Amino acid sequence: MQKIILPILVVITMFNFVKVSAQEEIDLNSAVIDSVLVKNANAVVRSEEVTIEINSVNSITTKVKKVITVLNKYGDRHADSFEVFDKSRRVKKISAIFYDHTGKEIKKYKKGDFVDRSMINSGELFDDTRILYINYTAVGYPYTMVFESEIENSTTAFIRPWRPVSSNYLSTQRSVYAISNPKKLPLKIKESNFDNYLINNQKEEGIITYSIVNISAKESEVLSPLGDDVFPLVNVALTNFVLEGVHGSALDWKSLGKWMYEELLKDRDQLPQETIDEVNKLVKGAKSKREKAKLIYEYVQEKTRYISVQLGIGGWMPFLASDVDRLGYGDCKALTNYTKALLESQEIPSYYTVVFAKKRKDIDPDFTSIQGNHVILNIPEEGEDIWLECTNQTVPFDFIGDFTDDRNVLIVKPEGGEIKRTKRYEPEENILRTKATVELNDNASMTATVERISEGLEYDWRYRNQFETPKDQKAHYKENWGYINNIEINSIKFNDNKDVVKFTEQIVVSCANYTKKVGNRLLVTPNVFSCDQINLPQYTNRNTPLLISSGYVNTDEYDINLPEGYVVNNLPKKKVLETEFGKYTHELEKIDDSKIKFRRYLKIIDGMYPKEKYEEYRKFRSEIKKIDKSRIVLKKL
Amino acid sequence: MNIITKLILGCILVSSINCLAQDYKYGKVSKEELLEQSYALDSTANAVVLYESKRVYYEYNPTVRWFLLITEVHRRVKLYNENGFEYASDDFLLYKNTRANEKVSDLKGITYSIEGDKIIKTKLKKEGIFENEFSDNYDQIKFTMPDLKDNSVIEYKYKIISPFVYNMDRIVLQGQIPIKKLEVKVEAPEYFNFKKFTTGYLPINLKESSSDGQFVYIPERSKTVNVLKRGGGNVRGELGFSSKYRGKQRTIDYKIKVNTILSTDVPAFKMEAYSGNVSNYISSVVYELQFTKFGNSVENYATSWEEIIKKIYSNPNFGGELNKTSYYKDDIQQLVGGIGDPVKKAGLIYNFVKNKMNWNGKYSVVTRGGVRKAYKEGTGNAAEINLMLTSMLKYAGIKANPVLVTSNTKVVSLFPTLDGFDYVISRVKLPNGGAIYLDATDKYGEPNILPTRVIQGVARIIAETGNSQRLNLRPGKPSLNRNSIQYEIDTDGVVKGKSNTYHLDYLAHNFRDKYGIYDQESQIKRIKEKYEINELTNYEVKGTTDLGKPVNERFEFVVDDQIEVIDNEMFFSPLLFLRHKENIFKSDDRRYPVDFGYGFSDMYMVNIKIPEGYEIAELPESGGFKLPEDMGSFSFNSKLVNGMIQISVTETINSAVILPQYYPAVKEYYNKIIEKQSDQVVLKKI
Repeated sequence: MQKIILPILVVITMFNFVKVSAQEEIDLNSAVIDSVLVKNANAVVRSEEVTIEINSVNSITTKVKKVITVLNKYGDRHADSFEVFDKSRRVKKISAIFYDHTGKEIKKYKKGDFVDRSMINSGELFDDTRILYINYTAVGYPYTMVFESEIENSTTAFIRPWRPVSSNYLSTQRSVYAISNPKKLPLKIKESNFDNYLINNQKEEGIITYSIVNISAKESEVLSPLGDDVFPLVNVALTNFVLEGVHGSALDWKSLGKWMYEELLKDRDQLPQETIDEVNKLVKGAKSKREKAKLIYEYVQEKTRYISVQLGIGGWMPFLASDVDRLGYGDCKALTNYTKALLESQEIPSYYTVVFAKKRKDIDPDFTSIQGNHVILNIPEEGEDIWLECTNQTVPFDFIGDFTDDRNVLIVKPEGGEIKRTKRYEPEENILRTKATVELNDNASMTATVERISEGLEYDWRYRNQFETPKDQKAHYKENWGYINNIEINSIKFNDNKDVVKFTEQIVVSCANYTKKVGNRLLVTPNVFSCDQINLPQYTNRNTPLLISSGYVNTDEYDINLPEGYVVNNLPKKKVLETEFGKYTHELEKIDDSKIKFRRYLKIIDGMYPKEKYEEYRKFRSEIKKIDKSRIVLKKL
Repeated sequence: MNIITKLILGCILVSSINCLAQDYKYGKVSKEELLEQSYALDSTANAVVLYESKRVYYEYNPTVRWFLLITEVHRRVKLYNENGFEYASDDFLLYKNTRANEKVSDLKGITYSIEGDKIIKTKLKKEGIFENEFSDNYDQIKFTMPDLKDNSVIEYKYKIISPFVYNMDRIVLQGQIPIKKLEVKVEAPEYFNFKKFTTGYLPINLKESSSDGQFVYIPERSKTVNVLKRGGGNVRGELGFSSKYRGKQRTIDYKIKVNTILSTDVPAFKMEAYSGNVSNYISSVVYELQFTKFGNSVENYATSWEEIIKKIYSNPNFGGELNKTSYYKDDIQQLVGGIGDPVKKAGLIYNFVKNKMNWNGKYSVVTRGGVRKAYKEGTGNAAEINLMLTSMLKYAGIKANPVLVTSNTKVVSLFPTLDGFDYVISRVKLPNGGAIYLDATDKYGEPNILPTRVIQGVARIIAETGNSQRLNLRPGKPSLNRNSIQYEIDTDGVVKGKSNTYHLDYLAHNFRDKYGIYDQESQIKRIKEKYEINELTNYEVKGTTDLGKPVNERFEFVVDDQIEVIDNEMFFSPLLFLRHKENIFKSDDRRYPVDFGYGFSDMYMVNIKIPEGYEIAELPESGGFKLPEDMGSFSFNSKLVNGMIQISVTETINSAVILPQYYPAVKEYYNKIIEKQSDQVVLKKI
């Protein structure tokens, strides 16, 4: 999303409206918005009031009143006017009214005007959640939407949190969040990232209120952490809650974990005897626990596949292990539970593990509540635990990759829950080694054989190539080396050694005009295969810290055979860049008159760096990029 | 399901069903198929359709004394490995409206695997079948097959029963994975007469034959109304000949027209860059109802353009809407009253509608809520906005007509049919005989500058008199980008310069559409990212709101990574960051056209001041080349003028659409451009 100019600003100064103040204190006239809020904004939250009324352990009413002024077409998406609902969530009230820039009403939607539709996504087979929404076409900018809703939820395990800074290019004039708890049910509240923000917090008898005013809009920034890790956030949870009719307790992780085990997992791990017999046979020769677990994991990979079906206690209960056994498919919960059951049949204890997948996010250890969006399996081991991703048919045993690495997770044991951290891949473990022999010819053409070996996360980022069609594989390399015009991929060979997690690509390439003839010179970029293509934008005022989520080490070593009749005079000196983000070297060595050697080393160290460091990192990468594409001159004899 | 079962039990079956080879009978998966390790024609295929059959036919239902349209699908898929498992899930849509809906029956499936010598069968059960609401008019059935293993074969079949007997769905003959054997049979009783056409680049082996059908007509005894809810507007009541046989029960013989298509080894369809409307390139056969004939009662649905035009003009949601004037009368009178010049009037009305109306994103040839409501609310679909426009133009005494458009998301029909269109624009005939095309849904539109969804489609102008004519709405000349850059190089190889670009016609439209409302900072960010420039100052953009004029962008830049200093020489490509770096075409071959939307031309004028103490050692040679049949050309000229290097480059694609046989030429054209643009200037220290 880009931020946009506001032709309305001109309009605003031109007109001098009569204040058409509607019933509430927020002036629906768009002209009164402070210029600080307009800067960088596509829309302004004029006012957002969310009230959480905790009526009882099985009833929470969430009342929302939002007034949003949309400044341009890119801001339309912020005028979100929908509510999702299901068996336990009832939409008691919903309405939306739209006003033009003067504050005059243009369109009104009552509950009956909302479209009611199932919330199915394309990748999903089934989801019983439904949505009420409207399709509003803007008839001019700016406009203001007043949205009101009231939802009553009999599932009280999840309470809408407060995120007053939720989107880029969206400013907030005022946001209020109130929790009313007249019955004084035991409650947990966690405030995060309040530093640097002026937040008003009032605790009265049975009511807690947070409010914030005048937050200017932010631009999107690359390599930044999740919003929840930097912007103000209030999480609220009931100690005793209900999840689709099932009562639970989240006093601490131990009790919550125990509840999960008892209510969601227990007795769902029965397997047919035939399967147990089969597994007995399978692991017979295996010596260690690890060896057995590996055989079982591969058995699951072979036998099952992932499908997305959100059913059962709000989508939190896995299908029966016996169903997965019979059907050969399931979602993450079902497949994990199934693998766990198979391991159990061999007396290998393993634990159902709840995690936030994809972008790294911790299960917050200080805030006991149902969290997470994915499930993996943990097998405790002396030394390092084994972690299994059960939804992937191709990934090696005990390899979770960056999908769930290095984060706090909840281990669900029969005796209770426990927070653990998943495997962290150190930069030195994530290796890409490129070796090549390059032949340069005097007609400017080039042929080369390249071998790339990937390990660790580099494996994760690359091993899927083998599953593409040959046409797509070719396209992949042409894209990867897109900076070499007219590159031809002559052959591709892969070797996937899952036992040691090592992926080898052997590629033969050629290019009719790799070098550039200029008079009696031939210009050559010795770094044929690892020119950095990253393009980091500059920010005048970066707001968020720099997050490098994974580190790695890339090395290159090429033998470059020079074309006949050409010589190289002075090779450039070795270049070394060293920063706190990592190290880079670029080195050329003359072996003899017809051969040079190219070496490159790049190590990037992962971590969260203060925002001031971003510019240094950008410069580091841009310097690397410049050196990467640098050329040498060969002269004709 | 109850009614359906009853229907099927109660019906009298027509014609012979079984023309299928024994091997492909449902449930008869062979060991050979299970043991097969890879697809012979493409050993890397993860999955392949071993057999697919589609049978479309009509079935007489005596209870309602009417036909139903039945589609039977049977598919057998080989999954060589787990990467093919995604093809073990499938889905289809069922149409519904307020009066009737399609139903599915007999959805069955089996997964076959081989263990040792034994074939293991697992049936698809209810737990694997899911029904979802897809949209207002469609429900969706999704299902996933159980118990998959490498080399499993899955097989499923289902039947869709449709009361919408006048609408036969497009039959697609190509998919995401190869099809080994495909059989299609379409049987239409003599009462329903369809025309057909095919799409795609693959040969289609279609055979026509005929067979006999029979049903027992039982007359209505009482006034009991039909038990079966009948479908939408085009589901008819009693058969036309019922009166002839009133009171008598009798057997009726009729002829059936049969089309069969037999294909083997159909390759998968692959998406490519710059594809335009791909639906035209996927192999398929489309049937469109031409007329119905019951006894002597013939009803024409599409015989000629005259008929279609008559029909659409008499449709209240088209012709009716076009004739309404009262809702805008006063506004238009006020707007153009007293103005004589028709061009000026047309311009005012077009801008008026464009500013007032906001397109809701919906394609349509007919209005939905109606023009009056649309006008009041300021929002409407394509028909509402452009019929309103056409109507206002006419009202103001301008010669204007609606133009029906097949947008770039719809298959282009090859013969007269109303169903072939999904969009409307407007044409104004000028007193001098010229014509201008207008689409008021597009805020950045201009006369004869139409959105891609329109120009990439096809169009037909229709007059109430019944005249019509097919139109090509692609612009006749390429749109221009004129770039001039001036720069100087210092002795460290740092470049300081100015860039000045004019975007014209469609390229201006494109710019406005994409970046028109960006603020200064966003524009700078965009340019910096696009060209990887670190230092950019004095950015200025003009003309983003002056439709009809070019958009002008200027900025100053400093770059330090364009010139390479090696020993005593400097090397660089004179176009610097403006040169093409990557070929937009990477595939080795292509089976369908490249569609750029419109022709375009990039012109570059470069003036380079060389640093003190340096002289020119090498200058790229002038030269050029052309695409065949004047589809495009490239020229590069370099010279020295007063000690300054002057480079001029012109790069033109004249043809918006390039046929696949010229694909290698276009790919090579871009290769050569990149090559030529990377030619080096060498400066040498004196």
